[in-house]
Amino acid sequence: MASPRTSVRGIRAVALALAFGLLAACGSGAASPDEPLQFFLSGDANQGGGFAAMAAQYQQETGVRIQIVDLANADLPTKLKNAAQANDLPALARVGGVDPVWRDATMDLRGILDGSGIRSELAAIDDTGKVLSLPTDVTAVGLFINKSLFDRAGVAYPTGPTDAWTWDEFVSKVKEVQARTGTTYGMVMDRSSHRLKAFLYEFGSDYFQADDSGAFRTNANTRTAFEYFKGLNDDSFMPRSVWLSQADPNAMFKSGDVVAYYSGSWQIADFAKNITDFQWASVRLPQQTTRATNYGNAASAVVFQGTGQEDAAYAFLQWLYRPENYRKLAETSGFLPAVDGLEITHATHADAFALYDEEIAQSAPIVKEIKRRDLAYEVAGVATEGDPVRDETVRYLNGELSVDELLTGINGQLTEQLGRLP
Amino acid sequence: MKAARGLSSTLVLWLLGIVYLFPVLWFVLSSFKPGSELFSLPLTILPETWTTSGYSTAWSRFDFQRYFFNTSVVAVVTTALTVIVSAMTGYAFAKYRAWWLRAFFVCILATTMLPTEVIMPSSFVVVRDLGLYDSLPGIIVPSIITATGIFMFRQYFSTVPDELMEAARIDGVGEITLFVRIMLPLAKPICVVLAIFSMQWRWNDYIWPLLVLRDPNRYTLQVALRSIVGADNIDWPVLLSASVISLLPMVLLFLVFQRQIMDVDINSGLKD
Repeated sequence: MASPRTSVRGIRAVALALAFGLLAACGSGAASPDEPLQFFLSGDANQGGGFAAMAAQYQQETGVRIQIVDLANADLPTKLKNAAQANDLPALARVGGVDPVWRDATMDLRGILDGSGIRSELAAIDDTGKVLSLPTDVTAVGLFINKSLFDRAGVAYPTGPTDAWTWDEFVSKVKEVQARTGTTYGMVMDRSSHRLKAFLYEFGSDYFQADDSGAFRTNANTRTAFEYFKGLNDDSFMPRSVWLSQADPNAMFKSGDVVAYYSGSWQIADFAKNITDFQWASVRLPQQTTRATNYGNAASAVVFQGTGQEDAAYAFLQWLYRPENYRKLAETSGFLPAVDGLEITHATHADAFALYDEEIAQSAPIVKEIKRRDLAYEVAGVATEGDPVRDETVRYLNGELSVDELLTGINGQLTEQLGRLP
Repeated sequence: MKAARGLSSTLVLWLLGIVYLFPVLWFVLSSFKPGSELFSLPLTILPETWTTSGYSTAWSRFDFQRYFFNTSVVAVVTTALTVIVSAMTGYAFAKYRAWWLRAFFVCILATTMLPTEVIMPSSFVVVRDLGLYDSLPGIIVPSIITATGIFMFRQYFSTVPDELMEAARIDGVGEITLFVRIMLPLAKPICVVLAIFSMQWRWNDYIWPLLVLRDPNRYTLQVALRSIVGADNIDWPVLLSASVISLLPMVLLFLVFQRQIMDVDINSGLKD
């Protein structure tokens, strides 16, 4: 018979063995070709699950399984970098931008781009003509208003293509609504240089561009726009907390205590579901001198080489960009299409989506030009440390910089970090 | 006078309790609000319309059972190993004299100077080269050694009189038996405290599992949950509900071990 002491020891031994057994059992296996294709992306489930639905349909049609791996947007780049380091990239991914770490591991997607309606100006193409990534969908900056407040105040807002506001008109109308309805703030704008870009364009700015020597410069309208912007951030028209201390503008607009929200197309789905206390509407962006929105690829698709699954992944992507499939994807996820010439029927708020299409089509050429330059730097693997335009603007709004210091600061940092256009 | 003082300190403690409870209460109650009510003014504590739609969406969207299982395996195995290893290491540092032990102790302490994020790239390379990438051991092994745990045990064992060990040795007890049968039971309160801490750390771990795990079937709870935070939008109702669900095991753990957590009396078993 076992003594109490040995039985205690026995239990311990079993526990330890179990622990190590478990460790061993959890060991990994290498990817084999018949494993499902991993597709890294972010926010698919939040956006209606379009990619998941297409993956399911693809499996039904071809038997090939695509495994959607939905990751937090902010961590997707880190995750991919480390996967590249471990030589364990997924078959394909939907990324915010091309990363120098894995840019050489991407497959040439030229065959999918050629002959398709995919907007080639949004594809990352290097100087040898290799297509590194293709746009999966487009987002654009746009203006939302609290329609209920406008109606209550009896103030009209633009509804047709000809009666768009200038910024001066917009500000005065919103102030009128604010006064008549007792609303705390007139407008909120996301703390982002992407939104700020559209604002600058609307004042006739040509943003910040490198000249032949690689020195960045801008035109006089940029200065006017920044001064105007600072004037708006007065804690009465715009709350300073959004740009200075990262208050959540989306939540503020949803509270119903803000008249207008300068944001973008991706909010439509969220607002449709999560605003019931008041009516909202998408309206044309104010234009001081120029009509412009800032649009671009929300994200881009890449296929990785060396996974043993690249051909299957390539075939899937080719299938996905076929007009009938891409239309379904865009309709399910509420995307602005990155493929030209498609009739997309959005189930809800079709008018809002149509408005964005119009804004993109009518935007001044500068938008395309800046986008082209941004992509060229991205493809060359040149990137800024953080976001100089946003960060310097925050310092300017906080009174740390004068407008001249702001412009010199941004130009200086971009010259140093980006330099000549590749 | 004395009663009044007692009353006022009780009052202060109650106030403090409410201050701590309030955000938790709001968080839990908010998870029962529909998305349209979360930000509408005026803010209310109680939902106007109670809904569990966030919970049902979260439950159907995430394979909670799998993630709970993965996270539990990681948390339990790591905790068991952390407690054993820390106890043995701390004991050695406290009770054995050698110059290299002292040097080694300084090295262990030095690891607290570097935040985990700083050594992450090198840890990643080590884990990858050991073949632990994309496996649960890949997140268990690097987490076993914690300077905090070792330090806790060392400090505790230093307070145990050497006479106790000498008496045991005179009675013919070997070094291993001495540790396992006399010293370790003495350190039970420390074991419990460290176990609770370690469980909590491993349960909430995010960035390391995110980097090491590739297969979503091996994901831990936190990695799976953070995917709710998208680029420009956060699905608040789902995030709130999923967070509440992910908290429950920790709350249960606290309820079960409440006495040990609250009663960390480290003088047990010793006469003055």
